[in-house]
Amino acid sequence: MSIITSTTRFAQEPVRRRRPSGFAYIAPALLLLILFFVVPIASLLMRSVLEPSPGIGNYVELFGSLTYVRIFANTFLVSALVTVLSVVIGFPVAWLLAIIPNRWGSILFAIILLSMWTNLLARTYAWMVLLQRTGVINKTLISLGVIDQPLVMVNNLIGVTIGMTYIMLPFIILPLRGVIKGIEPGILQAAALCGATKWQSLWRVLIPLALPGIASSALMVFVMSLGYFVTPALLGGTANMMVAEMIAQFVQSLVNWGMGGAAALVLLVATLLLYALQLRLFGIGRIGQEGQ
Amino acid sequence: MRKSIIMAAAVAAVAFTAPAYAAEMVFTSWGGTTQDAQKAAWAEKFTAETKTNVLQDGPTDYGKIKAMVESGNVSWDVVDVEGDYAVQAGNKGMLEKLDFSVIDKSKLDPRFVTDYSVGSFYYSFVIGFNADAVGAEGPKTWADLFDTTKFPGKRTFYKWSAPGVIEAALLADGVTPDKLYPLDLDRAFKKLDTIKKDIIWWSGGAQSQQLLASAEAPYGMFWNGRLTALKATGVNVGESWEQNITAADALVVPKSAKNRDLAMKFIALATSAKGQADMATATGYAPINTESGQLMDAALRKTLPDQQAASQVNADMSYWAQHRDEIGERWYAWQAK
Repeated sequence: MSIITSTTRFAQEPVRRRRPSGFAYIAPALLLLILFFVVPIASLLMRSVLEPSPGIGNYVELFGSLTYVRIFANTFLVSALVTVLSVVIGFPVAWLLAIIPNRWGSILFAIILLSMWTNLLARTYAWMVLLQRTGVINKTLISLGVIDQPLVMVNNLIGVTIGMTYIMLPFIILPLRGVIKGIEPGILQAAALCGATKWQSLWRVLIPLALPGIASSALMVFVMSLGYFVTPALLGGTANMMVAEMIAQFVQSLVNWGMGGAAALVLLVATLLLYALQLRLFGIGRIGQEGQ
Repeated sequence: MRKSIIMAAAVAAVAFTAPAYAAEMVFTSWGGTTQDAQKAAWAEKFTAETKTNVLQDGPTDYGKIKAMVESGNVSWDVVDVEGDYAVQAGNKGMLEKLDFSVIDKSKLDPRFVTDYSVGSFYYSFVIGFNADAVGAEGPKTWADLFDTTKFPGKRTFYKWSAPGVIEAALLADGVTPDKLYPLDLDRAFKKLDTIKKDIIWWSGGAQSQQLLASAEAPYGMFWNGRLTALKATGVNVGESWEQNITAADALVVPKSAKNRDLAMKFIALATSAKGQADMATATGYAPINTESGQLMDAALRKTLPDQQAASQVNADMSYWAQHRDEIGERWYAWQAK
């Protein structure tokens, strides 16, 4: 009797029966997420309208001050620069990784992973040693007679862009490698058979097919860059300050959590808007999907 | 996150060896060589004397102190903070009053003692230069350091809003030490504007050493102890104590700290003649206990800030405590411009 009932129900409403059990599986994770992520963020954001006095005073100050607006603008500029450079440099590397034979591929793969696993601070300081006026690159160029005066490549926008692009590259290369690997090689052959030149099959076949992957990894890099802290603080000058450092100053140094919360909310909203844009353009199903 | 894992590991390690210790407490400071010295000079001796295990945490973070005190879950017992913050936090009710029946303040330099804090160590901002890069004749005065005709190129200054750089700018502009306070911020920023494009900011001691040693910034304003340490590694450092600007770190106990009584005993040991002498010997910063000098090597003692009193300018901690927030906001806004 009971067996019959359950099979009938299963046959009639398969989806509804499976849903509660799925929710039960993710409930602990969801609870953790709410407790340790949503609640703290909400309370920080509440402070932005409650401290030092209730109201939107913090937001008025944030948008009313040229300095803060400039820091936000600079953050978006740096993030955009880093994203574009990461894609331009990362795409060929991902392509190479996807097509070269296994042994060389795994060596290249290991190099990328190793650089990613090395301590972030160590990598940032290493760039400082390479880029500074008395650094390796300048000394080499001067001794080769290429330049007479050292190039200024650190404590400015150039330093931040180089350092951050380097750190973001794996986040472009690794997902894109998957995307490109997932593209059926036969399609490129077909393009060639139809008379496409190498260039045409790159621009008109490979890149369009990889575009959703490019877009989602570029978005990830852009969003990560928006909140970046250590590298801009060390390789940039104070004129290139990014929002994350500004928030840290509000919270740690000035102990002004109202302003810190307001800046954090603006950053959060900007990030969510970007996700929404991504969803509109490419749809949720294709984010992170490894090629078709 | 990583810190909490370390803390958990430390707690687990302590749990394992629990029988050896009667109690434990947490000391928080800025990390690096300074905290290493504090651990050796104070924490390890405290453990030996009282069987109290002293867990080390850091770096000091004023936001965290606020969060702990507000939530009533205070996990730090003794914290090394900047002097002006100590005064301000004390006034705002964030700190425990110190128990001067446990801590003997009769021998402590009164400049660094308040109801809520005692000096941790005292340092001077001094002028340093890389003698290999610029020769033996480096900048001697703050005016020299602000003079880009006489001394062209990059110079490095402390990045954060704290006593030091604003005073240096005003002294460079001709303000006499007795007229420094109240700080004329407009005048200070105007003076700083003249060299803004030549400034590389250092945000931590190690970075200041790196900038000077590599001659990326061949001159600058440094914590004296960092120059001492750099010289010890063989770098040809020149320095000038002309109008050296003193400030001090302070030891404080956050409000409702779990181990308040142990914290008082810890501070008593840290500010004792011996505790301060050991700390000064290890770091090149000066002791705040007036009797520590007798316990130290005479040659070494000459290199410490307390021996440069004649040419010394004292940063006014209570002025800074009162105006900390407004100076900070102007400071960061000016920097980001």
